Amino acid sequence: MEVYRIENVSFAFPGQKRKALSHIDLTIQSGEFITLCGKSGCGKSTLLRQLKTVLRPHGEREGIVYFGGRHLDEADQRTQASKIGFVLQNPDNQIVTDKVWHELAFGLESLGVDPSSIRLRVAEMASFFGIQAWYHRSVSELSGGQKQLLNLASIMAMNPSVLILDEPTSQLDPIAAADFLETVKRINRDLGTTVVITEHRLEELLSISDRLIVMEEGRIIADETPVKAGEMLHAMNHAMFKAMPSPMQIAAGMGGEGAFPVTVKEGRQWLDALLGDNPREYHEELKEADGKKEPAARPAIAFKDVWFKYEKHGPDVIKDLSFEVQEGQFYCIVGGNGTGKTTTLSLISGMHKPYRGKVHISGKNPAKMPSRELFNQYLGVLPQNPQTLFVKKTVEEDLYEMLSGTGMTNEEKAEKVGVVVDFAELAPLLAMHPYDLSGGEQQRAALAKVLLLEPKILLLDEPTKGLDGFFKEKLAGLLKKLNAAGVTIVMVSHDIEFCAKHGEICAMFFDGSMITSDSAKAFFAGNSFYTTAANRMARHRWSEAVTIEDVIERCKATSLQASV
Amino acid sequence: MRDVFSTYHPVVNFAYFTAMLLFSMIFMHPVFQVIALISALAYSVLLKGKSAVKFHTLYMLPLLLFMAVINPAFNHAGVTILFYLKSGNPVTLESILFGAAAACMFVTVIVWFSCYNAVMTSDKFIYLFGKILPSLSLIFSMVLRFVPRYITQMKVISSAQKCIGRDISQGNVVQRARNGIKILSIMTTWALENAIETADSMKSRGYGLRGRTSYSIFRLDRRDRIMLALMSTFIAFVLIGAVMGENTIRFFPSVKMSGITPMSIAVYTAYFLLCMVPVLVTIVEGIKWKFIVSKM
Repeated sequence: MEVYRIENVSFAFPGQKRKALSHIDLTIQSGEFITLCGKSGCGKSTLLRQLKTVLRPHGEREGIVYFGGRHLDEADQRTQASKIGFVLQNPDNQIVTDKVWHELAFGLESLGVDPSSIRLRVAEMASFFGIQAWYHRSVSELSGGQKQLLNLASIMAMNPSVLILDEPTSQLDPIAAADFLETVKRINRDLGTTVVITEHRLEELLSISDRLIVMEEGRIIADETPVKAGEMLHAMNHAMFKAMPSPMQIAAGMGGEGAFPVTVKEGRQWLDALLGDNPREYHEELKEADGKKEPAARPAIAFKDVWFKYEKHGPDVIKDLSFEVQEGQFYCIVGGNGTGKTTTLSLISGMHKPYRGKVHISGKNPAKMPSRELFNQYLGVLPQNPQTLFVKKTVEEDLYEMLSGTGMTNEEKAEKVGVVVDFAELAPLLAMHPYDLSGGEQQRAALAKVLLLEPKILLLDEPTKGLDGFFKEKLAGLLKKLNAAGVTIVMVSHDIEFCAKHGEICAMFFDGSMITSDSAKAFFAGNSFYTTAANRMARHRWSEAVTIEDVIERCKATSLQASV
Repeated sequence: MRDVFSTYHPVVNFAYFTAMLLFSMIFMHPVFQVIALISALAYSVLLKGKSAVKFHTLYMLPLLLFMAVINPAFNHAGVTILFYLKSGNPVTLESILFGAAAACMFVTVIVWFSCYNAVMTSDKFIYLFGKILPSLSLIFSMVLRFVPRYITQMKVISSAQKCIGRDISQGNVVQRARNGIKILSIMTTWALENAIETADSMKSRGYGLRGRTSYSIFRLDRRDRIMLALMSTFIAFVLIGAVMGENTIRFFPSVKMSGITPMSIAVYTAYFLLCMVPVLVTIVEGIKWKFIVSKM
């Protein structure tokens, strides 16, 4: 039975000639699990929002959407509200009430279900999602992952026949995201609910997706099983192929005979089949020169036996932390939630003071420096949410605002702004409102703002959160350019792949302290679980192959040896 | 000790506190006042333990003494003159008694309110008002959701601005004011922007359809009905007493109140039981629990 049939749908936002969607034809069968992917701004969200009339954006629409065989416009709101479940991106924004139990009941209340039936449905959902333990809590006490799970549960309580999710995990850390996606899979598998999801984390979704739909500039360019869609993208030599799981990219990099592997497990099997039972392990010594620079006379950041807690009687958040960041390094801090990563950043920026031990940046105590000195031409901090920096109506005004009160002439200001605009590639966006930019563009605009203060040390808190592969690469490019210009970068991130690919030094945080730190390659080679997908796939052969390129290179070298 | 009374239905809690607050304000009879004060103190100690004892001795006791002393210094009505002040004004027995009674009433009401705050949590209050005005209860619930959220976001924005040297704690007075306004402006933009998604989420879940119902986790079960009946009986007794003039006292010009009769004792007992309901149910449950445990 088909749930949706989309016939020749086109859509343009008001006042824009460019079509956000053009001639989309799509049929969704009952019980299918469909993953939708594409670059930011390719029209994924716009397409999803066409599937429920109350969420449709204003604009010019052509074509027809059928829901369950009937015209969607004719389906009444009550049916749509209960039968079409929609989970949005930001976990916080979707929660309406103050208590978990009330949030679960919200949709049913709107539908006018009687209280005793609500009691039953809410109880069912709480049990299915494992919410009982926090059923009576206030929503403000929940973690991001719990909040998004609550959103999902409160929609599932209305018993929808189709569940539509618009980048539901972009604001979550990897563990919470995996948890959430696991629940979505379970809903599809155990309840038979049709799922349509847009996601950047394809590694976890492709193995269970029935179809992968790839979009570009408002058109569908591939609509196939994940493996076939991957092959098509590879054949097209498409940029989106970079977003596919590492095993698939490695297989494609090796010429790609046979079906592409999707999961790490399939990747290992594929690798073993490719290399045969060749026991000859290919170990190479890590080059010593790599990453071992001469320690500078004065490190950019130095922590010495630092202890910190937020409250007098509270637990220690940072325990006996000592590390040094040399000038000009690109330093990545990885680790789970609540291990003290972000707190460490706040100690570097002087927001908090340790109660024992010393923090020095270039030999000075940041907490004692006047803010004018500290944050001008010295230390730049890019907050996790770039929106917290924007104050003006356009990006351009916002950049100029940074220089107000510096006593520069207008020409000097224009010159400085011109330099960062070129650097962060903001020229086409200058006249736009900062909130109208996409996540990646906002990030760049915020970075440009911080760069106007000409920092020598740049602190980044989860800069890749919610960005797609394309914007991540762009950000990495900018950071590397800065790094090459001598800026020391300290980045806190959950994004292992990003750190492995671009970081110079990686350090792992656990339980308030740094467990290990090493050059990025050696760091990930030394981990067996907390490492990149490419490394997990190939580490039984080459433990030091960390990135996709490393694995491909070694594969080629080995097969060359074998053929000689 | 865990308070049992707050596990009763919100209607029971609310009825109890309404009755308590009204009665302790209206009935100035000394016996009534003493009963109310003792019960209020007992319940607050039960609810909050040591911190309540500390609060009462540190703040309530001085307040009580202060108010009792201050009244006769300014109020000179009454016929029984004890002595004259230096200013020539008389200090009367009636004004001293009235001062003591007023102070006692004042303290009792404050203590009742502190108990009310501990027992009537926001969701109980919302539930009660939702019975009267369903849309208002949703608004209450949303306010309670958004206020903490906005406060958190305000801190996030403030620390982000601090890192570019533009927080309210940085710069001279003019700059600080300017930075403060800037933070508010960011906050407003952020709130409006994010409210759009909240609205989407509400619409998407059918908000605005006809015939919205209101769900709550509270249920009026047999235990609550019995308690309501019991409390109504006590209240009826007390009201009968009020009609018969047993509960009030006249201070000026001379003190006059009804004497102790079998009827008045019955009314006192009813009032005492009513006031002590929360403490009594907790004690009874405690004893029952001990009994069950000892049997096992």
